[in-house]
Amino acid sequence: MSIRHGIIALLAEQDMHGYQLKVEFERRTGGTWPVNIGQIYTTVQRLVRDGLVLPAPGERSDDRADVERFTLTDAGRAQATVWWSTPVERGAPARDELAIKLALAVTAPGVDVRDVVQAQRTESMRALHDFTRLKAAQPQTDDLGADLAWSLVLDHLVFDAEAEVRWLDHVEARVARASLHPRPSPRPTDDPAAGGAGGGRARRRSGAPPPGGRRR
Amino acid sequence: MIAAPDSPGLVGPVVLSMKMAHRTHGEGATAVHALRGVDLEVRLGELVAVMGPSGSGKSTLLNLAGGLDTPTQGTVTLAGAELSAMDPRARARVRRRSVGYVFQDFNLIPALTAAENVSLPRELDGVGTRPAREEALVAMAEIGIEDLADRFPDELSGGQQQRIAIARALVGPRRMVLADEPTGALDSAAGEDVMRVLRARVDRGAGGLLVTHEPRFAAWADRTVFLRDGMVVDTTGGASGPESLLAGGGRHRGDR
Ligand SMILES: Nc1ncnc2c1ncn2[C@@H]1O[C@H](COP(=O)(O)OP(=O)(O)O)[C@@H](O)[C@H]1O
Ligand SMILES: [Mg+2]
Repeated sequence: MSIRHGIIALLAEQDMHGYQLKVEFERRTGGTWPVNIGQIYTTVQRLVRDGLVLPAPGERSDDRADVERFTLTDAGRAQATVWWSTPVERGAPARDELAIKLALAVTAPGVDVRDVVQAQRTESMRALHDFTRLKAAQPQTDDLGADLAWSLVLDHLVFDAEAEVRWLDHVEARVARASLHPRPSPRPTDDPAAGGAGGGRARRRSGAPPPGGRRR
Repeated sequence: MIAAPDSPGLVGPVVLSMKMAHRTHGEGATAVHALRGVDLEVRLGELVAVMGPSGSGKSTLLNLAGGLDTPTQGTVTLAGAELSAMDPRARARVRRRSVGYVFQDFNLIPALTAAENVSLPRELDGVGTRPAREEALVAMAEIGIEDLADRFPDELSGGQQQRIAIARALVGPRRMVLADEPTGALDSAAGEDVMRVLRARVDRGAGGLLVTHEPRFAAWADRTVFLRDGMVVDTTGGASGPESLLAGGGRHRGDR
């Protein structure tokens, strides 16, 4: 997420000085993305350089002469409109450690994919529990807009974690089905542990929770 | 930045306890092992979610927990009574006194108002009409839906009907609610309202067992139990430290 677009969007509503931009940005995003004032000023300077923002005229004449307010140029205003009307690009997915780990686990000798899935699901569910607990504990304030912003941001984390859990369920089901119809896979012949038929891979988990699985 | 909320309310005595519960349908070569040695405990103030693929034994587990069915091996103890050792009539009495059900399709009686639906279990308990209504209004007020008391089911949204079903499940002395996919017919926001109410109600002193296939809703529970082929293969949830909360900067926070 770029602060750049956030600043443009805020300045499209009204002229603001740097500190005001910082406060509004944080409030309006539910306090989830703290920014320091330095980041704000650096970004504003770039926007000035790119011709999207100008110091607001007549600003230096009032009693708070040290605070400079900023305003959007016509080009800046156009950018704000474009941002709202254009979807955020999904882009190429970032290299995801989990996807890589599971891809490798499928063929790694001596590794039971189901154990990897189970351990990960425990972790993802724990994160999901935590986000949900934050939602449940969300205090109601006078600022309805900020409350809604905060809960929408939490929902984003919730849906994201849920998608991972669902994907893990799917992986587990696919792996289980594949192991019913085993295909010959390359295995190091010098590994005695990988030898016998129905070896470690077919092993089922017992009822015990995995290490690190928590109980109250 | 973001403070960790306190862990959910105090947890009380055990309401439901299953020990090495098995349920086998049929015999010999055609026997179906619906449950194979499940241990489970639910305390007052605790909501436990049950997840697992279809056919893994979730409904069987709920039926055993509520005394609608008995284990072929092992024990089920509900509100201090060992259901597995009782004759059907005694079991039905415990069931009526101690548990309420919430189903996917709400199951409210269309000809009765919301308050009448909620008071019905108490009238069947033999409590008079007026005290039953009083209790129903208390149960509804506890989850903030007393304003719906005189509406009929067809005047209510699915989420509202389901909240009434939760009030009905826990009216009077009932301390255990069994919910089978209670959010299954609801959209995401209504489903969340229902989970909030279920959570709040359990926090006020009830045990809850919730079958769901939506991780998002299971996350409202204190624990999630995963069933596979009639066995518990994993349990997640429970208390977690503040390090795992938003402020901690876990994997999900990498975009900060
Ligand atoms: N009355 C019954 N007779 C025979 N098999 C049954 C009966 N009830 C359930 N089963 C079997 O027991 C297993 C578990 O069923 P169930 O508890 O309904 O699973 P779930 O609710 O997780 O989908 C399934 O294989 C199902 O076919
Ligand atoms: Mg079922």
